[in-house]
Amino acid sequence: MKLFSYLKLALAYFKLNVGIHSQYKAAFAWQFLAMVLNNCTWLAFWLIFFERFPIIKGWGRQDILTLWSLTSAGFGLSTACFYNLHNLALLIARGELDVWLTYPRNAVAHLALAKMSPTALGDLCFGYIVYLALVRPDAAHLLAFIVLTINIALVFIGFNLMRGSLGFYFAQAEAISEQWFFAMITFSTYPSCLFEGLVKLILFTLIPAGLVSGLPVEALGMKELRADLIGLSFLGALAILAAGIGIFNFGLRSYQSGNLIEMRN
Amino acid sequence: MDSNLGCLRRQTLAVAWVAARANLAYPLEVLGRAGFLAVILYIFLRLWQTTYEQSGSDKLAGLSLPDMIWYLSITEAMWMSAPRLSQQIDQDVRSGNLSVLLLRPMAYPLYCLMSNLGERSTRFLFNLLISFSLALLLVGPVKLCAEGAIMTGTAILAAFILDGLAHILIGLTAIYFQDTSGLTLIYTRLTMILGGMLIPIELFPDWLRSLVKFLPFPYMMYEPVKLFARPDWQEYLKVLGGQSLSAIVLTTLVALVYRHALSKISTNGG
Repeated sequence: MKLFSYLKLALAYFKLNVGIHSQYKAAFAWQFLAMVLNNCTWLAFWLIFFERFPIIKGWGRQDILTLWSLTSAGFGLSTACFYNLHNLALLIARGELDVWLTYPRNAVAHLALAKMSPTALGDLCFGYIVYLALVRPDAAHLLAFIVLTINIALVFIGFNLMRGSLGFYFAQAEAISEQWFFAMITFSTYPSCLFEGLVKLILFTLIPAGLVSGLPVEALGMKELRADLIGLSFLGALAILAAGIGIFNFGLRSYQSGNLIEMRN
Repeated sequence: MDSNLGCLRRQTLAVAWVAARANLAYPLEVLGRAGFLAVILYIFLRLWQTTYEQSGSDKLAGLSLPDMIWYLSITEAMWMSAPRLSQQIDQDVRSGNLSVLLLRPMAYPLYCLMSNLGERSTRFLFNLLISFSLALLLVGPVKLCAEGAIMTGTAILAAFILDGLAHILIGLTAIYFQDTSGLTLIYTRLTMILGGMLIPIELFPDWLRSLVKFLPFPYMMYEPVKLFARPDWQEYLKVLGGQSLSAIVLTTLVALVYRHALSKISTNGG
């Protein structure tokens, strides 16, 4: 029941944000297209690479297409709905969280849902278009893709909460938070088969890119769907989300208000 | 005539020096770039290590694995040193700040080019220091010769000028378009792929390789950096020739657009 209530809240925010962005149609369309184009460039690099070297440690063209579809769709979904988390470290540093703490529901929900990035919708659509047009899945794979997109979005939400909450613990945490994010994005867009040992461990903990480019891509393997890996991905995503919320709530205890008079914009 | 030229030279060098010093004022930003470079180079190392192992070949595109990592360390250092010049010019044009900048005792595009060159060279040297240290740590040293360093260094400087001219051209088109960020994005992504930043052009499919030969992008990255691994005076002269031709075309276009932009400016106020 509580979950349903939060879903209704998310939908209300989503409609509101789409309404705001639709007032600037040209800018909205251009940012959307720019992101699609940006992703196409990376895909072009990988297609060139796999044309020259068709198999890298068992990974082929279809796997890299799946990786890019999943990562951009999952990241797009999280950023389309929860974009404000990208500003979290800065909001904490400036003592601007007050306005979000006065709402009746959980502060994280309002804070995270408040803003949308138009480029994220480009990521989201790019992911689905590439998967449908180039990977051409059957119904079962498509369903699993949708589930995994949501899983990956949960990973990014939890991760953004973790890196943003650094602001509670360190002064000028924005730079570290940003670098951590770049590392996550970079590792998430390269085949996970390249990494072994200690780095692999890091990719399932400190930089949880393994839950974006590792397990989900293996779960969607072209020959057979791996329900166990989908389950593991889901559990991993929940763990990262729980860690993010926990770190945020713990840090919130030491939050110091900036005593600013603010209005939500 | 001589004193005019001397004055212009002093002015342009002063602009480059000021931009270089301004860039050194943010050590945290430099450290951030170092961290990101480390991540990128480590991933490239793993990607190409695996590729070399699987291909069973010691050399790809004429480069051994250490050569490849050193090649990528230079291209990454170049890529990450690029300031947002076209966006700055776009803002100057759209905000009207251009009319104030026109009061400077040098042409606005030349000011932008030199400022960009100063800032970029400083960033590049810092990035290079970091990426070379990482490359050394990851794959060990490669054969270096003074000739190769001179050829690559001068060709990279010319590449920065070419890239700067392209950014000035894009920024000035703000006089025609509402927003040039899209054009900048397209240009930078084309440079990234067709310039050979991620993968040497010799590994491109044949049709694409024969196409990029006629474009300026390889002269902005691949051709200059290639000289580092395979120094050859004849090849160097070819690269400089291609860069000069591209620079002539770009300078002409910049001059045309700038002249047209000046005729469109109307200044109000007192």
